[in-house]
Amino acid sequence: MARVYVSTVISAPASRVWERVRDFNGLPRWHPGIRDSRIEDALPADKVGCIRNFNLQNGDNIREQLLGLSDYDMFCTYSILESPMPLEDYVATLRLTPVTEGDRCFMEWSAEFSCDPADEDDLVGNIGGHVFQDGFDSLKRHFGGS
Amino acid sequence: MPRVVKSTIVNAPTDAVWDVIRDFNGHDQWHPAIASSQIERAQPSDKVGCVRNFRLEDGANLREQLLTLSDLEQSFSYCLLDTPVPLFNYVSHVRLFPITDGDRTFWEWESRFDTPRGQSDEMTELVGEGIYVAGFNAVKAHMGVFDA
Repeated sequence: MARVYVSTVISAPASRVWERVRDFNGLPRWHPGIRDSRIEDALPADKVGCIRNFNLQNGDNIREQLLGLSDYDMFCTYSILESPMPLEDYVATLRLTPVTEGDRCFMEWSAEFSCDPADEDDLVGNIGGHVFQDGFDSLKRHFGGS
Repeated sequence: MPRVVKSTIVNAPTDAVWDVIRDFNGHDQWHPAIASSQIERAQPSDKVGCVRNFRLEDGANLREQLLTLSDLEQSFSYCLLDTPVPLFNYVSHVRLFPITDGDRTFWEWESRFDTPRGQSDEMTELVGEGIYVAGFNAVKAHMGVFDA
Protein backbone atom coordinates (compact mmCIF):
# COMPACT_ATOMS: atom_id res chain seq x y z
CA MET A 1 0.00 0.00 0.00
CA ALA A 2 1.19 3.48 -0.84
CA ARG A 3 0.70 6.06 1.89
CA VAL A 4 0.36 9.81 1.83
CA TYR A 5 0.46 11.92 4.98
CA VAL A 6 0.51 15.69 5.18
CA SER A 7 -0.34 17.99 8.06
CA THR A 8 -0.41 21.67 8.87
CA VAL A 9 -1.51 24.24 11.43
CA ILE A 10 -4.44 26.55 10.75
CA SER A 11 -4.77 29.77 12.75
CA ALA A 12 -8.41 29.32 13.75
CA PRO A 13 -10.26 27.18 16.30
CA ALA A 14 -10.88 23.63 15.10
CA SER A 15 -14.66 24.14 15.27
CA ARG A 16 -14.51 27.01 12.77
CA VAL A 17 -12.30 25.12 10.34
CA TRP A 18 -14.55 22.08 10.73
CA GLU A 19 -17.58 24.17 9.72
CA ARG A 20 -15.83 24.85 6.44
CA VAL A 21 -14.50 21.37 5.64
CA ARG A 22 -17.18 19.02 7.03
CA ASP A 23 -19.55 19.56 4.08
CA PHE A 24 -18.78 16.58 1.83
CA ASN A 25 -20.23 18.55 -1.05
CA GLY A 26 -18.39 21.75 -0.16
CA LEU A 27 -14.99 21.25 -1.84
CA PRO A 28 -15.57 23.96 -4.49
CA ARG A 29 -16.06 26.46 -1.64
CA TRP A 30 -12.60 25.95 -0.19
CA HIS A 31 -10.41 23.85 -2.49
CA PRO A 32 -8.99 25.76 -5.48
CA GLY A 33 -8.60 22.58 -7.57
CA ILE A 34 -12.32 21.73 -7.58
CA ARG A 35 -14.68 23.39 -10.02
CA ASP A 36 -18.06 21.95 -9.04
CA SER A 37 -19.56 19.16 -6.99
CA ARG A 38 -22.88 17.47 -6.40
CA ILE A 39 -24.14 14.65 -4.22
CA GLU A 40 -25.64 11.80 -6.21
CA ASP A 41 -29.26 10.77 -5.73
CA ALA A 42 -29.99 14.09 -3.95
CA LEU A 43 -28.82 12.66 -0.62
CA PRO A 44 -27.75 14.97 2.21
CA ALA A 45 -23.98 15.59 2.21
CA ASP A 46 -23.62 14.32 5.78
CA LYS A 47 -25.37 11.02 5.13
CA VAL A 48 -22.66 8.40 5.50
CA GLY A 49 -22.54 6.38 2.30
CA CYS A 50 -23.41 9.31 0.03
CA ILE A 51 -21.40 9.86 -3.14
CA ARG A 52 -19.93 13.17 -4.28
CA ASN A 53 -19.45 13.60 -7.99
CA PHE A 54 -17.12 16.47 -8.76
CA ASN A 55 -15.06 18.00 -11.52
CA LEU A 56 -11.55 19.37 -11.21
CA GLN A 57 -10.52 22.65 -12.82
CA ASN A 58 -8.83 20.58 -15.56
CA GLY A 59 -12.11 18.81 -16.32
CA ASP A 60 -11.33 15.46 -14.71
CA ASN A 61 -14.32 13.81 -13.05
CA ILE A 62 -14.04 12.00 -9.72
CA ARG A 63 -16.60 10.08 -7.63
CA GLU A 64 -15.95 9.59 -3.94
CA GLN A 65 -18.01 7.90 -1.23
CA LEU A 66 -18.30 9.11 2.36
CA LEU A 67 -17.30 6.24 4.66
CA GLY A 68 -17.19 7.99 8.02
CA LEU A 69 -17.98 11.42 9.45
CA SER A 70 -17.54 12.49 13.06
CA ASP A 71 -18.55 15.88 14.41
CA TYR A 72 -17.20 14.73 17.77
CA ASP A 73 -13.69 13.75 16.67
CA MET A 74 -13.80 16.08 13.66
CA PHE A 75 -12.74 13.66 10.97
CA CYS A 76 -14.04 12.57 7.60
CA THR A 77 -13.08 9.36 5.78
CA TYR A 78 -13.88 8.62 2.15
CA SER A 79 -12.95 6.34 -0.71
CA ILE A 80 -12.50 6.91 -4.43
CA LEU A 81 -14.99 5.04 -6.59
CA GLU A 82 -13.89 6.40 -9.96
CA SER A 83 -11.08 8.69 -11.02
CA PRO A 84 -8.61 9.10 -13.89
CA MET A 85 -5.72 8.31 -11.50
CA PRO A 86 -4.09 4.86 -11.88
CA LEU A 87 -4.87 3.66 -8.36
CA GLU A 88 -7.23 1.35 -6.47
CA ASP A 89 -8.49 0.83 -2.93
CA TYR A 90 -8.00 4.51 -2.14
CA VAL A 91 -9.17 5.55 1.33
CA ALA A 92 -8.42 9.01 2.71
CA THR A 93 -9.01 10.73 6.06
CA LEU A 94 -9.09 14.41 6.90
CA ARG A 95 -8.84 15.17 10.61
CA LEU A 96 -8.78 18.26 12.81
CA THR A 97 -7.37 18.36 16.33
CA PRO A 98 -7.50 21.45 18.57
CA VAL A 99 -4.21 22.98 19.70
CA THR A 100 -4.88 24.11 23.27
CA GLU A 101 -2.09 26.72 23.18
CA GLY A 102 -3.43 29.49 20.95
CA ASP A 103 -6.60 29.54 18.84
CA ARG A 104 -5.16 27.12 16.32
CA CYS A 105 -5.79 23.64 15.08
CA PHE A 106 -3.72 20.78 13.73
CA MET A 107 -4.99 19.42 10.43
CA GLU A 108 -4.00 16.04 8.99
CA TRP A 109 -4.88 14.61 5.62
CA SER A 110 -3.80 11.08 4.81
CA ALA A 111 -4.51 8.40 2.24
CA GLU A 112 -3.70 4.80 1.46
CA PHE A 113 -4.06 3.12 -1.90
CA SER A 114 -2.72 0.40 -4.19
CA CYS A 115 -1.02 1.18 -7.49
CA ASP A 116 1.62 0.06 -9.92
CA PRO A 117 4.98 0.62 -8.14
CA ALA A 118 6.14 2.60 -11.17
CA ASP A 119 3.38 5.15 -10.54
CA GLU A 120 3.73 5.38 -6.76
CA ASP A 121 6.15 8.31 -6.44
CA ASP A 122 4.18 10.44 -8.88
CA LEU A 123 0.86 9.65 -7.22
CA VAL A 124 2.14 10.23 -3.68
CA GLY A 125 3.80 13.49 -4.74
CA ASN A 126 0.75 14.73 -6.59
CA ILE A 127 -1.83 13.80 -3.95
CA GLY A 128 0.22 15.00 -0.97
CA GLY A 129 2.04 17.90 -2.55
CA HIS A 130 -0.78 19.25 -4.69
CA VAL A 131 -4.27 17.96 -3.90
CA PHE A 132 -3.92 18.00 -0.11
CA GLN A 133 -1.35 20.78 0.30
CA ASP A 134 -3.28 23.07 -2.08
CA GLY A 135 -6.29 22.58 0.18
CA PHE A 136 -4.18 23.47 3.24
CA ASP A 137 -2.79 26.56 1.54
CA SER A 138 -6.27 27.72 0.63
CA LEU A 139 -7.50 27.27 4.23
CA LYS A 140 -4.41 29.10 5.50
CA ARG A 141 -5.17 32.01 3.17
CA HIS A 142 -8.74 32.07 4.43
CA PHE A 143 -8.10 31.67 8.17
CA GLY A 144 -4.43 32.54 8.44
CA GLY A 145 -1.81 29.86 8.98
CA SER A 146 1.59 29.42 10.44
CA MET B 1 -13.33 11.26 35.80
CA PRO B 2 -11.57 14.51 34.82
CA ARG B 3 -9.75 14.54 31.53
CA VAL B 4 -6.94 16.95 30.80
CA VAL B 5 -5.69 17.61 27.28
CA LYS B 6 -2.95 20.08 26.45
CA SER B 7 -1.23 20.51 23.13
CA THR B 8 1.26 22.80 21.50
CA ILE B 9 3.33 23.39 18.40
CA VAL B 10 7.11 23.07 18.61
CA ASN B 11 9.19 24.72 15.90
CA ALA B 12 11.43 21.67 15.48
CA PRO B 13 11.09 18.28 13.74
CA THR B 14 9.48 15.45 15.72
CA ASP B 15 12.76 13.51 15.78
CA ALA B 16 14.44 16.34 17.69
CA VAL B 17 11.60 16.59 20.24
CA TRP B 18 11.44 12.82 20.59
CA ASP B 19 15.18 12.74 21.34
CA VAL B 20 14.48 14.90 24.39
CA ILE B 21 11.27 13.37 25.76
CA ARG B 22 11.75 9.68 24.90
CA ASP B 23 13.95 9.00 27.93
CA PHE B 24 11.50 8.09 30.72
CA ASN B 25 14.22 8.97 33.20
CA GLY B 26 15.29 12.20 31.50
CA HIS B 27 12.59 14.58 32.75
CA ASP B 28 14.79 15.91 35.54
CA GLN B 29 17.03 17.31 32.78
CA TRP B 30 14.34 19.65 31.48
CA HIS B 31 11.21 19.84 33.68
CA PRO B 32 11.52 22.67 36.23
CA ALA B 33 9.41 20.87 38.83
CA ILE B 34 11.65 17.80 38.99
CA ALA B 35 14.78 17.74 41.10
CA SER B 36 16.02 14.19 40.55
CA SER B 37 14.89 10.92 39.03
CA GLN B 38 16.00 7.32 38.85
CA ILE B 39 14.68 4.08 37.38
CA GLU B 40 14.07 1.42 40.00
CA ARG B 41 15.94 -1.91 39.93
CA ALA B 42 18.54 -0.41 37.57
CA GLN B 43 16.35 -1.18 34.58
CA PRO B 44 16.80 0.63 31.28
CA SER B 45 14.44 3.60 30.94
CA ASP B 46 13.01 2.29 27.67
CA LYS B 47 12.00 -1.06 29.18
CA VAL B 48 8.19 -1.07 29.19
CA GLY B 49 7.09 -1.69 32.76
CA CYS B 50 10.00 0.17 34.36
CA VAL B 51 9.26 2.53 37.24
CA ARG B 52 10.70 6.03 37.61
CA ASN B 53 11.11 7.19 41.14
CA PHE B 54 11.54 10.94 41.30
CA ARG B 55 11.61 13.86 43.65
CA LEU B 56 10.06 17.26 43.05
CA GLU B 57 11.77 20.53 43.90
CA ASP B 58 9.38 20.79 46.87
CA GLY B 59 10.62 17.45 48.21
CA ALA B 60 7.60 15.32 47.28
CA ASN B 61 8.37 11.80 46.07
CA LEU B 62 6.50 10.16 43.16
CA ARG B 63 6.62 6.85 41.32
CA GLU B 64 5.36 6.36 37.77
CA GLN B 65 5.33 3.27 35.58
CA LEU B 66 5.95 3.18 31.84
CA LEU B 67 2.99 1.42 30.16
CA THR B 68 3.70 1.97 26.45
CA LEU B 69 6.62 3.24 24.43
CA SER B 70 6.57 3.49 20.65
CA ASP B 71 9.41 4.84 18.54
CA LEU B 72 7.20 4.36 15.47
CA GLU B 73 4.37 6.57 16.72
CA GLN B 74 6.67 8.66 18.91
CA SER B 75 4.38 8.14 21.86
CA PHE B 76 4.44 6.84 25.41
CA SER B 77 1.97 6.22 28.22
CA TYR B 78 2.48 5.97 31.93
CA CYS B 79 0.54 5.72 35.15
CA LEU B 80 1.06 7.10 38.65
CA LEU B 81 1.82 4.54 41.34
CA ASP B 82 2.54 6.75 44.34
CA THR B 83 1.94 10.45 44.79
CA PRO B 84 1.34 12.83 47.69
CA VAL B 85 -1.51 14.57 45.81
CA PRO B 86 -5.00 13.06 45.40
CA LEU B 87 -4.66 11.68 41.87
CA PHE B 88 -5.98 8.16 41.47
CA ASN B 89 -6.13 5.87 38.44
CA TYR B 90 -4.01 8.46 36.66
CA VAL B 91 -2.97 7.37 33.16
CA SER B 92 -1.25 9.81 30.84
CA HIS B 93 -0.46 9.70 27.13
CA VAL B 94 2.17 11.71 25.28
CA ARG B 95 2.31 11.76 21.51
CA LEU B 96 4.16 13.67 18.81
CA PHE B 97 2.70 14.22 15.35
CA PRO B 98 4.72 15.56 12.42
CA ILE B 99 3.57 18.82 10.86
CA THR B 100 4.79 18.20 7.32
CA ASP B 101 4.00 21.80 6.41
CA GLY B 102 7.16 23.41 7.83
CA ASP B 103 8.71 20.28 9.42
CA ARG B 104 7.44 21.07 12.92
CA THR B 105 5.83 19.10 15.74
CA PHE B 106 2.31 18.88 17.16
CA TRP B 107 2.69 17.63 20.72
CA GLU B 108 -0.30 16.33 22.66
CA TRP B 109 -0.22 15.42 26.36
CA GLU B 110 -3.35 14.11 28.03
CA SER B 111 -4.60 12.15 31.02
CA ARG B 112 -7.59 10.90 32.91
CA PHE B 113 -7.74 10.41 36.64
CA ASP B 114 -10.02 10.21 39.67
CA THR B 115 -9.87 12.74 42.46
CA PRO B 116 -12.09 13.49 45.47
CA ARG B 117 -15.20 15.56 44.87
CA GLY B 118 -14.36 19.25 45.16
CA GLN B 119 -10.72 18.87 44.13
CA SER B 120 -11.30 18.32 40.44
CA ASP B 121 -10.60 21.92 39.37
CA GLU B 122 -7.48 22.16 41.49
CA MET B 123 -6.07 18.87 40.22
CA THR B 124 -6.96 19.69 36.61
CA GLU B 125 -5.08 22.98 36.94
CA LEU B 126 -2.11 21.31 38.61
CA VAL B 127 -1.80 18.61 35.94
CA GLY B 128 -2.62 20.77 32.91
CA GLU B 129 -0.69 23.91 33.76
CA GLY B 130 1.81 22.81 36.40
CA ILE B 131 2.96 19.66 34.60
CA TYR B 132 2.00 19.70 30.92
CA VAL B 133 2.19 23.36 29.90
CA ALA B 134 5.24 23.89 32.11
CA GLY B 135 6.73 20.82 30.44
CA PHE B 136 6.06 22.17 26.95
CA ASN B 137 7.75 25.45 27.82
CA ALA B 138 10.66 23.70 29.49
CA VAL B 139 11.34 21.42 26.53
CA LYS B 140 11.21 24.37 24.14
CA ALA B 141 13.67 26.29 26.31
CA HIS B 142 15.88 23.21 26.69
CA MET B 143 15.96 22.80 22.90
CA GLY B 144 16.45 26.51 22.31
CA VAL B 145 13.39 26.77 20.06
CA PHE B 146 10.89 29.59 20.33
CA ASP B 147 7.29 30.12 19.31
CA ALA B 148 6.85 31.73 15.91
